[in-house]
Amino acid sequence: MNNKSVSEQDRRRKKAMIVFQVLIYSWIFATFLVQLYLKSISNW
Amino acid sequence: MTAITNSQSGNFGNYDAHQSDSAAAQLRADKWMISGTILMGTAILGLFGLPLFLYGLRLQINAAKAGLSMRPTIVTLIGYLVIIDSALNSMGWTLDLFANHTLVNRVLTTGWGAMFDGGYFWHYNELWLGGAGAPGEKAWEIALIPVLFCARLAAAIGLLQMKRWGQQWLIVTCWMGVIVWTGYNTNMTIFADIRYSGVTFPVWGWWLYDIWYITPFLSLPYLHTVNREIFSE
Repeated sequence: MNNKSVSEQDRRRKKAMIVFQVLIYSWIFATFLVQLYLKSISNW
Repeated sequence: MTAITNSQSGNFGNYDAHQSDSAAAQLRADKWMISGTILMGTAILGLFGLPLFLYGLRLQINAAKAGLSMRPTIVTLIGYLVIIDSALNSMGWTLDLFANHTLVNRVLTTGWGAMFDGGYFWHYNELWLGGAGAPGEKAWEIALIPVLFCARLAAAIGLLQMKRWGQQWLIVTCWMGVIVWTGYNTNMTIFADIRYSGVTFPVWGWWLYDIWYITPFLSLPYLHTVNREIFSE
């Protein structure tokens, strides 16, 4: 395996990790928004 | 001439001196940072711990500027941050699990519940297992203290010692943190009526206080991309 293919693999791994993290942060942010929505319609 | 003599007797002269000076400087800085971290890990004494930690950090940065071989600053910050995260979570949840009838816990925990998270106020000490009565909360406590936080604490200590197992286990436990955040937040959202009904600072208060616990898994990109050769077997 040459250096080029290793770096290409590394680059794809980093990209996949960033995409996955963005998905997780989006989910967590979505739960925050849902809670804010519930607050707006509740008598908390 | 001295270097040659040392080399012939099995030493490396200036190199050995540099290594021992670096280790001594690192230990000196770590003593301050460990003291600060222990205080911050108690939550209540956190304000007293922060200046100690910052002083130790300054010692480490200055020693590195002076040319000594010190631990990378980012590794130091991640390692101690994770220790504080593990300590705060373990301490609070262990008290809720085992010391839920103590006066201090009935004041502090239900006080927290009244202000930010009704799960720690609603039917407190009314289940067959005392403490917080929010749905699912006890299961999270029992699962995460031994499985996640103890493992993460050990991993962070290994990372600070620049051990490769420390880096690898920190990656494992930080990914566990992703599961915790998605699962725990979903639980809070589903049972939002219990968690936020009647509390002083609903939603905003909890998020402002707890969002900082997300930081361990913010370190994942670094842990995955750092040159692992800097950690020893």
